[in-house]
Amino acid sequence: MSRLAPVVIDNGTGFTKMGFAGNNDPSFIQPTVIATNPTTSNQSSNLAAKRGAEDLDFYIGDEAVANSKTYALNYPIRHGQIDNWDHMERYWEQSIFKYLRCEPEDHSFLLTEPPLNPPENRENTAEIMFESFNVQGLYIAVQAVLALAASWTSSKVSEQTLTGTVIDSGDGVTHVIPVAEGYVIGSSIKSVPIAGRDLTSFVQNLLRERGENMIPAEDSMTVAQRIKEQYSYVCPDIVKEFQKYEQEGDRYFKTYEGVHSVTGQPYTVDVGFERFLAPEIFFNPEIASSDYLTPLPEVVDTVVQTSPIDVRRGLYKNIVLSGGSTMFENFGKRLQRDIKRIADTRLRRSEVLSGGRMQSTPMEVNVISHKKQRYAVWFGGSLLASTGEFHSYCHTKAEYDEVGPSIARHNRVFGTVG
Amino acid sequence: MPAYHSAFNELSDLRSVGGMALLPIKTRVRGPAPIADASAEDIVDEALNLFRANVLFRNFEIKGDADRVLIYLILFITECLGKLARNPSLREAEKVLGTLALGNFAIPGDATFPLNALYSPPASKMDADLLRQYLSQLRQEMAIRLPNRIYENDKPGKWWMCFQKRKFMNKTL
Repeated sequence: MSRLAPVVIDNGTGFTKMGFAGNNDPSFIQPTVIATNPTTSNQSSNLAAKRGAEDLDFYIGDEAVANSKTYALNYPIRHGQIDNWDHMERYWEQSIFKYLRCEPEDHSFLLTEPPLNPPENRENTAEIMFESFNVQGLYIAVQAVLALAASWTSSKVSEQTLTGTVIDSGDGVTHVIPVAEGYVIGSSIKSVPIAGRDLTSFVQNLLRERGENMIPAEDSMTVAQRIKEQYSYVCPDIVKEFQKYEQEGDRYFKTYEGVHSVTGQPYTVDVGFERFLAPEIFFNPEIASSDYLTPLPEVVDTVVQTSPIDVRRGLYKNIVLSGGSTMFENFGKRLQRDIKRIADTRLRRSEVLSGGRMQSTPMEVNVISHKKQRYAVWFGGSLLASTGEFHSYCHTKAEYDEVGPSIARHNRVFGTVG
Repeated sequence: MPAYHSAFNELSDLRSVGGMALLPIKTRVRGPAPIADASAEDIVDEALNLFRANVLFRNFEIKGDADRVLIYLILFITECLGKLARNPSLREAEKVLGTLALGNFAIPGDATFPLNALYSPPASKMDADLLRQYLSQLRQEMAIRLPNRIYENDKPGKWWMCFQKRKFMNKTL
């Protein structure tokens, strides 16, 4: 029996990536936002109570943003977890029928979940998938594990292992997740409250402080975001970078050209130090916030050090980047250098403390950047779902009918509950 | 990687007053500081180089007596940039900053000095005079070098002025 390609959907806080397994890139990448009609939607949240077609009157993704003037925008996912199940169900409905245009009963589905997702959420997801959409099979994978699998495409990876530290930085939050042989070490996960959105508002701040008054106020956020995405990179040393800008200004200072969204007037913005200062806040959070002060390399080091001792070398050796905010040029290089420095200092100190009697093998620190980094989680899902065994990992509709939603607590790959 | 420190912390055989090292400077302004080698960088150059990086930081760990001089100079640069906010011409700027440098200023130990927690008051009346002369010398030299470094087309460069509102260690002079 030939099977249709499984559907892979990765719902993130900022963006949803969806497509079919076996493809290299998601077919649709759009904001995880749903626009509902405010005149009908606030009467009742219960779909069954409605008559007529009001419940179909909504848009998702880019169309939702385009209709934001007349519709109310809702973000069904907060901090990686589903917050509003009714909106999420409708989001999936259009994702499947309007965008992917497939019959859910003919496809298996691979969905993703954040680390430490409560099992109740997984049950809810299974309930919606099986009962509302009648999907053929469902597999819910942890995002970090998929990101690890996605790094196998990098030429720097020598062995395909599911042990490693995943640094997942999207729009809302940055997670550092240790994974040992496919199991997430939940107790050591750390999150850093610095991610894409904070970088954008930092750039916005720098532009305002400098008095770039050509930017129309209503566009300042978008301009800051574009500047961050187009021009930013990570530098090895900020003082030296400032000097380069002073000596060879022509090479480093850039100009951003924009068009006023209302009047259509073109304008230009000078782009300067924010090019390297924006990603610098991962390494020196002090310069942007007063309450969070731990640099990312230090967080990664703590995460590895709090993990079981026998996997630490593996965790240092395979640090994998995932998500849009890790895309800055030289991000991996700088991270590797800083983590290596911390690890080396520790080794040296322990050698000194032992009076030179203990010699340890140098710690191998590898930060892996690869081409699929931006949509690493989706790509990992696509890899996993295109393997022959995938269908045997899925929970099928028949099994769901037999057991009920609690079936989603069980994972066949690892044979565990929870 | 925290804020940058002064390279002059390494020098050990220097006299220090009120926790600040008496560092050699390249200057024609008269004062108690030793004269530095004209080809090498002195503390004023260093402060100008480190200013834009360090001013972003709110925390700074003092590693030596030269760091206290560096802090003072960085805060003084911020004060100078504040005076240049109205885009005076280079000539005017030199005049304004010259007056600022020579005007009344607090030294460590004075009640109005903002960093008394980090500096120690001078031990005697003599030391206090010495410190005042030394700081005055530093301020005058900075007031001469700063505008030359940051002026472009007879206006203070915007790539410097954008740091005017930042407060190093959350302090101002």
